[in-house]
Amino acid sequence: MEFRLSTEQELFKRMVREFCEKNVEPRSREMDDKEEGIPDELIKGLADLGVFGIMIPEKYGGSAPEGEEMTYANIAVQELGRAEMSMALPVYTLLCLGWGFLITKYGTEQLKEEVLPRVAAGEYFTGIATTEPGGGSDIANIQTSGMYKDGKFIVNGEKVYISGVLESIEQRDGGHITLIRTDPEAGHRGFTFVFIPAKLPGISYSTFDDIGRMALSTGSLVYKDVEVPEYYMLGEMNRGFYLNMEGFNLARILVAAACVGMTEKALEISRDYVKQRVLFGRPLAKFEGISFEIAEDHAKLEQLKLYLQYTAWAADTLYKEPDFISHRDLSRMVSICKMEAPMLGAEITQRCMTHLGAFSYTKECPLGRGLRGIMSYVVGAEGGYHIQKLIIAREYIGDEAVPYR
Amino acid sequence: MNIIVCMKQVIDLEQIRIKPNTREPVTKGLPLLFGDFEKCALEEAVRIQEKHGGKVTALAVGSPKLKDTIKEALAIGADEAIILTDPMFNDSDAMGSARVIAKAIHKIGEYDLILLGDSSADEYSGEIPPRIAELLDLPQVGFARELEILEGNDQGTNTKTIRAVRDLEDALEVVELDLPAVVGVTSELNTPRLAPLSAILKAGRKPLNEWGPEDIGITADEVGANASVVEVLSNLAPVQDRKEIIYEDVEEGVAEVVKALLQEGVLTQ
Ligand SMILES: Cc1cc2nc3c(=O)[nH]c(=O)nc-3n(C[C@H](O)[C@H](O)[C@H](O)COP(=O)(O)OP(=O)(O)OC[C@H]3O[C@@H](n4cnc5c(N)ncnc54)[C@H](O)[C@@H]3O)c2cc1C
Repeated sequence: MEFRLSTEQELFKRMVREFCEKNVEPRSREMDDKEEGIPDELIKGLADLGVFGIMIPEKYGGSAPEGEEMTYANIAVQELGRAEMSMALPVYTLLCLGWGFLITKYGTEQLKEEVLPRVAAGEYFTGIATTEPGGGSDIANIQTSGMYKDGKFIVNGEKVYISGVLESIEQRDGGHITLIRTDPEAGHRGFTFVFIPAKLPGISYSTFDDIGRMALSTGSLVYKDVEVPEYYMLGEMNRGFYLNMEGFNLARILVAAACVGMTEKALEISRDYVKQRVLFGRPLAKFEGISFEIAEDHAKLEQLKLYLQYTAWAADTLYKEPDFISHRDLSRMVSICKMEAPMLGAEITQRCMTHLGAFSYTKECPLGRGLRGIMSYVVGAEGGYHIQKLIIAREYIGDEAVPYR
Repeated sequence: MNIIVCMKQVIDLEQIRIKPNTREPVTKGLPLLFGDFEKCALEEAVRIQEKHGGKVTALAVGSPKLKDTIKEALAIGADEAIILTDPMFNDSDAMGSARVIAKAIHKIGEYDLILLGDSSADEYSGEIPPRIAELLDLPQVGFARELEILEGNDQGTNTKTIRAVRDLEDALEVVELDLPAVVGVTSELNTPRLAPLSAILKAGRKPLNEWGPEDIGITADEVGANASVVEVLSNLAPVQDRKEIIYEDVEEGVAEVVKALLQEGVLTQ
């Protein structure tokens, strides 16, 4: 059993941290205030460090630590969460990593050659589009259709609350792995996963006015007779639902990483503050009402962090040893992380804000950005809070706990 | 250009705690890193290599943890590394360490330039560069904040010199040295690069040699605690007395504090 990061992992973590402390953190407020996206230099700098290439083999321009991709990605995304607490940059990155990994694993050669080198270079965004106006949680009920004809899918429908819309259409370039219905009669066994470059003809978009992670857009994508060439398909026809679940396993680990990173930083801010804020003649830290809260939060966060590292390792191990555990077992572990990290993080961040008092209510203090950012993952992004419980209950209690069967 | 960069691993200074009652620094169990000065030395070596070709060798004496620490140097751009971690070298004074380094450099044999941090981040004695230069009978310069390799021609043979701008606080001094030479650098020299993931992953595959006392021909009477002539009398954090002066009147307080800061040299007019 080895709990330590390897020398290489430790070194990579330090490199990302040094980059972030010097370049990202100083611009985090400006990014959130301006709402003009993530500065190119930051993406470029992270790409130069190899962050966007973690999931991508050298052959496609990446620098994948093969067999340890998720472990490295977990490290990098936590560091980004610490530095950019609104979570726009961590989310942008984790979407490229998590969903990019699925392209590495299941994309056709042509798709990989077209997209992956550009993702590694930080020029191209890869996100996910499953959610529809009819609801995000009930994925088996999506309506966007993609009839296959003459080597193409003809896609019609609408996806909403999609991250990275402006980034992939206006600010940079990119696309989304999109869940479409290719066999209308077959329920979730009739879904296919296709990558759709966001600039394909027939796609129109609008954006939402979000309350947090202001440097990253979310919007809706409307598809009208969009022709998607067959080589954009991931895996096999009508297997999209299962690939989607596999992709969630990857992305949700990294979502938890972003939340843990942000929360760790929030707690450090509070810890440092209460040591120097003197009230009633002594530092705030001397009052157990405060110090015990911080101690408890630290304990909870440490447990989660370790479990997250374990889950990232389990995902890596599953790809190396296919019978190590089942994908469903991994989903249970991942959902524990995805259920805990945003909610615990939001709670801790709120307590941190109370420790800092009025200062925390100003934009000069990053805690408010953190709280607004992490709430995106409480309310639903990459799968709602309750949905994680549903998955854990399904896997732990059994089918008796599944309401939709 | 073959360049040897001497690098010392030091504990992460930012993580040192001071025991409040005894003022002793707590240094156990802290991560070991390279100091900023040696990182600048390495960065400069890699830049010179990028321009002039040749080879960069990282050389380090220290604890067995160096096997890990040295990977950073290899990831940043050293082509190979030599580490000396034998317990015989423990607790050497500057002279002892200089002997080990000089003998290792002598064994490497082919070199044009030896770069190192002007002082180490932990002890900051600044003795190593002149001592190894003396032992190897090479020209030496310290406090270098700018370096340039000059290639010339002397009666048909290529000559190489290095021009160093030395930071003497009140003035800058420009010195030219014939190579090979020993140059101690300051952190103004450059901004060290960060190692990208691909280089980190490849670092472990670069040649890493471990040399012991026999390899460099050194004996226990020349290094280690026995050979040390330096006795550390005290290593305590300075006493930090708070003046505890309270000014009721803000106007007056600001003026007094500014005056005090000027007096202590924290502010200049
Ligand atoms: C900032 C942001 C970015 C996003 N980015 C993307 C993206 O890039 N791509 C994408 O596809 N989607 C994205 N989403 C959408 C996200 O995936 C959905 O919000 C999520 O799936 C929940 O769907 P919903 O919002 O429609 O809520 P609903 O599905 O309507 O659910 C509402 C609430 O009911 C709960 N609930 C649902 N079913 C049950 C049940 N059976 N039992 C108990 N409780 C239940 C949910 O947990 C939730 O709290 C994003 C969302 C946000 C907020």
